[in-house]
Amino acid sequence: MKSAETISTVQLRSPQIAKIRMDALSAIRFFFVSRDFVEVETPLLVASPDMDPALSPLEVRLKAGGKAALITSPEYSLKKLLGSGMKKIFSLNKVFRDEEAWDERHVSEFTMVEWYEAGADYRSGMRQTRELILAVATALNVVEHPLLKEWEVKRMEELFAENLGVEQVGLRTREELLARARRLDIHTHESDSWSDVFYRLYLAKIEPTLPTDRATVICDYPLPQAALSRPCPDGVYAERFELFSGTLELCNAFTELTDADEQRRRFECERAERERLGKTVFPIDEELLRLLPSVQNPTFGNALGVDRLLMTLLGAKSLDEILLFPPVRLFGPPSTS
Amino acid sequence: MSSPNDIKNGTVIRYEGALWVVVSFQRVAPGKGGSFVRTRMKNIQTGKVVENNFKSSETLEFEEVMYLKMQYLFTDGQLYTFMDTQSYEQVEISKELIEESVPYLKEGLEVTVSMHEGRALAVALPKKIEYTIASAPPAVKGDTASGNVTKEAVMDNDLKVQVPIFIKDGEKILVNTDTGAYSERVNN
Repeated sequence: MKSAETISTVQLRSPQIAKIRMDALSAIRFFFVSRDFVEVETPLLVASPDMDPALSPLEVRLKAGGKAALITSPEYSLKKLLGSGMKKIFSLNKVFRDEEAWDERHVSEFTMVEWYEAGADYRSGMRQTRELILAVATALNVVEHPLLKEWEVKRMEELFAENLGVEQVGLRTREELLARARRLDIHTHESDSWSDVFYRLYLAKIEPTLPTDRATVICDYPLPQAALSRPCPDGVYAERFELFSGTLELCNAFTELTDADEQRRRFECERAERERLGKTVFPIDEELLRLLPSVQNPTFGNALGVDRLLMTLLGAKSLDEILLFPPVRLFGPPSTS
Repeated sequence: MSSPNDIKNGTVIRYEGALWVVVSFQRVAPGKGGSFVRTRMKNIQTGKVVENNFKSSETLEFEEVMYLKMQYLFTDGQLYTFMDTQSYEQVEISKELIEESVPYLKEGLEVTVSMHEGRALAVALPKKIEYTIASAPPAVKGDTASGNVTKEAVMDNDLKVQVPIFIKDGEKILVNTDTGAYSERVNN
């Protein structure tokens, strides 16, 4: 019998890592295929990658096509397929992010499973995500693990009330949040947006309280934190959830918003922000905007980092331990000075 | 002016009128929106440690720091003495400033010392350090049945590490200094 403790702190060897990864990927494929999802191959090289200003897509130049980038997520392609009439699809593939540095939790190339189901919302999606993780754990013979215990589901609003004494965080102004941060001696900056101050409060006072002996689902983010998910009935929060193992984020899920006008507005904001930060601005994906109104409402979508899931289930302290070719093997040790 | 993205262990930041040396840092990013650098930093006068989250787009004032290769020599329990391997000059650093690194130090270990205005403030350890096992008692019968395949071993500098049960006294192993975990056995 294998459990997290038996493997932790003992370095896995290549044949073991290869077997673990094969078993996990097979389990993920079997999980979705047996539920009538269609696996789709989406392009890794695109002209319009995700424009989120926090992300740095890896840019490449193609002899035949000029400027291109590697995807940070297959989201745009998958949504186009939904807009073309597909209902249940998943992609299990590599994604790329040009990180400033690699650490225990970040590498530039990683494996992501991303899936969409028309007609489902984030509540049923949460149960489905749990079933998927149980299936992967079973495939790896992991029978005892904090992630397999019942998940603690918390609304963001509850967490702010309990840990910061901030009631109804979604209705608070930027100034009210700033005042709370100052009272708590939390560093802020004049350029902070509402979301920045919100996240500073979260990082300082909420994240450290997340339990380590079980996983936490945080759901119902204030609208500015989830502009592309469907609003909750109260109109203040949005149908988004993230799953955390300790403080390690494993997935990010939404009941998707299918409003093309809102999506265009969002793209324009992201373009402007990228320009302000001096980051490459990519062309807006017009095909996505054309197809988005045809996506059924509701549609559930989730993106889960497979390497992080394996790292968690196996009790590894670093992604390096569950990768056959960790960055250090490919690019040498990071400089210490 | 520098970006929080350039923060490294040992970086010296002028912040709210004081000088702080970075003890550890981690990049964090919410699903959407800007990313932050979670920074644990130590006041070089008082030794007080605080955690600040700097947005990637903020600007910070870094002090000029020289990074010198030095060898660890000895300690009197409070001050730790290192020697510049080029000039043979010695510097002392107080225990409070390098608390996290202290358990890993052993005589002759080569580290990178951050020097600011002639004063040594921080040490950066190698990612992995080789130790000789001073004591690794055989695993107690029953340990493996309960799922344990590791046991506690004491290194030649008194550092304690969980190692696989096949490790014996006198063997050499590599320890990961980020995690404190056993990394691999060194074959002679």
